[in-house]
Amino acid sequence: MNLVVGVGDMKVSNDPESVLVTYSLGSCIALAIYDPVAKVGGLLHYMLPESSLDVQKARKNPYMFGDIGIPVLFKETYKFGAKKNRLQIIVAGGSQILDQKGLFNIGKRNHTVLRKMFWKNNVMIDFEDVGGTVNRTLKLEIKTGQAWLKISGAGMKKI
Amino acid sequence: MVKDIRRRDEENMKEIEKIIKEIDRLKPVSYIRDKIMEIISNPDSSLAELVGIVKYDQGMTANLLRICNSAYFGLAKKITSVKQAVAYLGIDKVASLAMMGNSADNFREAQAGYDLTEGELWRYSVSSALMAQDLAEKRNLNNISLIFTSALLKDIGKVILNTYVKDSFEAINKAVQSKGITFIDAEKEVIGIDHAELGARVAEQWNFSPVMVNIIRNHHHPEKALPGDLSIPIVYMADCICMMMGMGVGSDGLAYRHYQDIVDRLHFSDIDIQKTIAGFSGKLEDIEELVSISGG
Repeated sequence: MNLVVGVGDMKVSNDPESVLVTYSLGSCIALAIYDPVAKVGGLLHYMLPESSLDVQKARKNPYMFGDIGIPVLFKETYKFGAKKNRLQIIVAGGSQILDQKGLFNIGKRNHTVLRKMFWKNNVMIDFEDVGGTVNRTLKLEIKTGQAWLKISGAGMKKI
Repeated sequence: MVKDIRRRDEENMKEIEKIIKEIDRLKPVSYIRDKIMEIISNPDSSLAELVGIVKYDQGMTANLLRICNSAYFGLAKKITSVKQAVAYLGIDKVASLAMMGNSADNFREAQAGYDLTEGELWRYSVSSALMAQDLAEKRNLNNISLIFTSALLKDIGKVILNTYVKDSFEAINKAVQSKGITFIDAEKEVIGIDHAELGARVAEQWNFSPVMVNIIRNHHHPEKALPGDLSIPIVYMADCICMMMGMGVGSDGLAYRHYQDIVDRLHFSDIDIQKTIAGFSGKLEDIEELVSISGG
């Protein structure tokens, strides 16, 4: 069964029948994590880098922001027995409109916040497809940990 | 050689003419929509005129009231008449919404060339129009229904160009990837005409006001707006923000251009843009409801 992760949303599952999917990322980032031993996976679709933008909104929906959404995703999978050192990590999205520079390049800033956090916490990315002007969709099968990536204009591909 | 070029130009012109002729394939504008458009284009329109147009069509009135009562507008009281709707939302907004309730016809189908499934182009058009309305309100512009309607209908050209984009997708995509040009410039280079120009031709044929035709024609080329004009920049900006949020993004991806001077003209900082994204994301369910009511 497809569990759709919306924009500014997160889902974690250990149901072998479920497939987590998030569509049309634009400048947003999808982060998928999976523990092959505990067979639990999670998918986060965040839109903006930092929650300091709007603390009230962040409290209401932490999945909107990378800086607080990412830690929650990890913690939620730990509740289902996932271990950090076993997690397989996939990152997709963060596209940009041509000539978006500096602070206006929100796709790049979304990616940077994740890289910084992973660097600090010793988290290694297993597969990453970010940037450019393409639109992406990401899918994660809980039974096997198999993931698929769809890039605009092309079909769904196994990762 | 000169002859060859001339012959090729003639062939290209014939192809473009063929594409433009396909405008006739679109579902025609209804009498009512034509009348609402008159109201939107005329800033002196009165409530009586709007009520006069919609009151004979019960289905349309009911639909308009459902739109006005939808969660997106968050009215405390349930509206039961068009007159009341205007009292709460203003004639400008009600006319915009009447337009939204009568425009889905041509936008519902899947657009395989742009990799959009059934309903996606309409969902995107509504989102983009609401976003443009929101930005125009933030900048206190006074021609909001015109901006809303232009944003709502700006991609009508895609409905016609779709099959051509599908046939030439590889060449278009190659031009985007290898030359770093925008998708719309690649459409023009490969097919001979782009979806914004084609949309403007449709708008002309449907007797839209010259201002609206111009917004539709330049919605990806805001640098062509006259100095001081904010309508084209607002519609352009709304489109960019929707793209960044992944709304209505298909095979064209985000391959359009960011014009910093246009963003500066609107006095939008990166924080303003991020706040707009955050604000809009909280309304996605309400927008979905509007899409469904207006598309039905």
